[in-house]
Amino acid sequence: MTVSSFSADVRSILDAVNSIIIGKRQVTKLALTCLLAKGHLLIEDLPGVGKTTLAHTLASTLGLGFQRIQFTSDMLPADILGVSVFDRDTSQFTFHPGPVFTQLILADEINRATPRTQSALLEAMEEQQVSIEGQTHPLPEPFFVIATQNPSHQIGTFPLPESQLDRFLMRIEIGYPDAEAERTLLLGDDRRQLLQDLQAVTSIDQLINLQQAVNDIHVAPALVDYVQNLLAYTRDSGLYHFGLSPRAGLALLRAAKAWALIDQRDHVDPEDVQAVFPSVVKHRLQPVSEQGSVDFIADLLAQVTIA
Amino acid sequence: MNKTSPSPTAILWLMLGLTLGTAPHFLHQPIWVSLVFLIALAWRCMNIYYGWPLPGKKHLLLRFVQLGIAGIAILALMFSYGTTIGRDAGVAMLTMMLGLKVVEIQSQRDFYVATFLGYFVVITNFFFSQSIPIVLLMFVVVTIMTACLISLNDPKHQLNERSVLKLSSQMLMQAIPVMLLLFVLFPRIAGPLWGLPQDAHTGTTGMDDTMTLGKISNLIQSDEIAFRVKFDGDLPPPSQRYWRGPVLWQTDGTTWKELDRNSQSPITPDIDFSGGEYSYEVTIEPHNDHWLFALDFPNRLPTNVNAHFTSDGQLRSNDAIKQRQQYQLSSQTNFQFNAPNEPLIKEALALPKDKHPQTIQLAQEWFLQDPNPQRYIQRVLQHFNQKSYYYSLTPPLLIGDSIDAFLFETRRGFCEHYAASFTVLMRAAGIPARVVTGYQGGEINPVNDFLVVRQRDAHAWTEVWLEDEGWLRVDPTAAVSSDRIELGIGDIMPAGMRSPFFITNSRQLISLWQNINNNWDAVNNAWNLWVLAYGPELQKNFLSSLGMKNPDWQKMAIWLAISISTVLLILSFTLLYQRKHPDPVVQLYRTFCLKLARFDLQPNTGEGPKDFAHRATSTLPHHKNDINTITQLYIDLHYGKQSAALTDLQTAIKLFQPQKAI
Repeated sequence: MTVSSFSADVRSILDAVNSIIIGKRQVTKLALTCLLAKGHLLIEDLPGVGKTTLAHTLASTLGLGFQRIQFTSDMLPADILGVSVFDRDTSQFTFHPGPVFTQLILADEINRATPRTQSALLEAMEEQQVSIEGQTHPLPEPFFVIATQNPSHQIGTFPLPESQLDRFLMRIEIGYPDAEAERTLLLGDDRRQLLQDLQAVTSIDQLINLQQAVNDIHVAPALVDYVQNLLAYTRDSGLYHFGLSPRAGLALLRAAKAWALIDQRDHVDPEDVQAVFPSVVKHRLQPVSEQGSVDFIADLLAQVTIA
Repeated sequence: MNKTSPSPTAILWLMLGLTLGTAPHFLHQPIWVSLVFLIALAWRCMNIYYGWPLPGKKHLLLRFVQLGIAGIAILALMFSYGTTIGRDAGVAMLTMMLGLKVVEIQSQRDFYVATFLGYFVVITNFFFSQSIPIVLLMFVVVTIMTACLISLNDPKHQLNERSVLKLSSQMLMQAIPVMLLLFVLFPRIAGPLWGLPQDAHTGTTGMDDTMTLGKISNLIQSDEIAFRVKFDGDLPPPSQRYWRGPVLWQTDGTTWKELDRNSQSPITPDIDFSGGEYSYEVTIEPHNDHWLFALDFPNRLPTNVNAHFTSDGQLRSNDAIKQRQQYQLSSQTNFQFNAPNEPLIKEALALPKDKHPQTIQLAQEWFLQDPNPQRYIQRVLQHFNQKSYYYSLTPPLLIGDSIDAFLFETRRGFCEHYAASFTVLMRAAGIPARVVTGYQGGEINPVNDFLVVRQRDAHAWTEVWLEDEGWLRVDPTAAVSSDRIELGIGDIMPAGMRSPFFITNSRQLISLWQNINNNWDAVNNAWNLWVLAYGPELQKNFLSSLGMKNPDWQKMAIWLAISISTVLLILSFTLLYQRKHPDPVVQLYRTFCLKLARFDLQPNTGEGPKDFAHRATSTLPHHKNDINTITQLYIDLHYGKQSAALTDLQTAIKLFQPQKAI
């Protein structure tokens, strides 16, 4: 199978998503990249810019089972994972699966929950399974988590620790729409209604095929050199508290491959790496100096030579 | 502050480097010199941390304060050294001015000057000491200085302190092969490259050419090494380890002196040798005088040092020993030092007028009772042995006629007391005698089997002349304390005096301490013999052993050039290889970029080929097709899965002749 054979699928997914999310082509492309790269997505932005809508749209378009979990500060791990309840008829404990047992989860405002509850979900994300009272329950395939969080300086938030941020392949921001898009949004139909009418454009098999195709995207030695240069720079320059981990390197390459697939190429270009770089790296890297941290990712890219 | 002024961090590092570099000088400089330096650095620190003003255009008054300090410092130097040049005064001047320079660092240029002076400070340390700790410390200082230069050339602070230090030590590591080659192959010339100033050799301890009672016991306090000896084969027993030095003849009653050196012609003394031979190599520490110590009498002159014998059997170097030197000798167990000539006999009998009345009376009394010289000698030795004479490192002060006071009152003394009074007793009885000073004993270092002779092994004994036997060694100290001779001075000193563990008597701790000492001395000795002593002689031998026939400076220069170029080539190739082996595709793409460079188009760091092509086509829209084709070919070849033909790219780039739009 060549890359072009997937282009129809990719285009129809993007078109469907963009019909709901208006004027955010870059964001929807990144979100799809993340899903094709089998990564979990963290959306960080202010309330009301369309985080939930984006997640919901993706689920509907891809024909995935969808659950939304609204995180609150009094939430317990069992509220997510499920509980074993004693059944009087059978005199046995039966497991009642929680909302986590679905293909696409929208974990809304994840940073409002206590760290204990956060880690219950994050462990499930990492292990692709849930263990309760000695029993292991596998999660469905594919399994995505799209978490949203409010900017952490807002009141009543428990910011995710760095180690858990690392579990998310990408972190993206949506941002306000531009004037024209906003106008369309204001004058157009109710998004909720549109979402309900939205039909799945691909099947789960097609999605799994797409994910498979990402694996086959070619990565030239020169490109690996470039990725290594980037990693080395974050470690040796002394500008960041910690350099990027090998996991971050894998994530970067994987996301770049998915991006190349969406762009209908059978190999990864340096520009693909640069396109996904901010989303993959920004939440894993902490600049030492407070000043100039606004656009430190662009500064970083401008410092590393392309092999 | 302008953009080019060095950062406070860089200045702090520079100050650390300078302080470490000048620290060894603090030990021998007047304290006020070090204070001026440290106060100047403290001033700069206060500026960095608390914003204290610095001298400059803004604070003219402070500029005058600074100049005032400099002026006073120079005057104080003149007053205390009498000059501002020479080793000691020069280094003191350098230290103070360096401190004041740090205060006024404003621009990059100031920083460079201070850093380069810092490198120079490293060299000045070797005027004073070339020991291993100093060398290691100077490696650290050079690393810090180099780090300062690196951080000055990193104005955007892209490297943190650790990476700067890492880079600096990496660079120095890469320089080490070249350093070693230069060390081994750079033609050595006899003597120092430039004459060290006169004051460079003061303050060395060692034997003196006069002996006053109480003088040697000062040497006993010193653990400093006088010389080290390596024997080929067996060592003489401890009681035979007499290292002969200055021979003292003339006395005024308190001080003993050598014969007038001008009256002595350098002749070989008349000595008959027999018995087993000990051959050995002595490495002597500089003592700023002419003696070369030897085991009794050597049977020939050393070959590698210009030296001569005096008529009283001293081995003297023609030049003062100002550097560590090695010489090979051999001595024999039996020898007969034959009759001296008449004037010498006279010297060996001379006593000062009207001195030591009691001693002379006793001598004459005993000699009259039994005029046989040998039995007389025995009687005097027995007197020392059986009467209550004590060997003491801290003898009481002698009042009045020192010899009489010692023999008849205090009776506590040290080798020089016994040697001097014994000699007087001999001369008073008409037996020619002279005092010999030198060292006795020495410790074997079990690590490298060198015999280490320290200043505390200094000793004095007597030689008497008997008609048939020539000059004979008699050591009156042995009659009082045979342990001093049999065991050596180290073993008779209380253990606490020899180790830092004054409070403990733990044998384990003391032996551990000795062990460490022995190993450290062995390392130092190897350093002396192989690194510091690497002069023309050793270089010639070493290079010959490597297969270079008759090494002369031309051959060395050629080999130096060849080997250094080889090392540099290897180094640069490994560095280049680590970077990237040249890839024809990348080369071609570079040619393409070069062609665009005429239009001020160059790919920026971190700019991908597509982004660059986009920028290029917006500048040169009429070449859009060419640029896009070449870029696509390059991407396919460099990043793509199935390779496009390299020749396509080649021809496309060859045909690509960008022109300005008309």
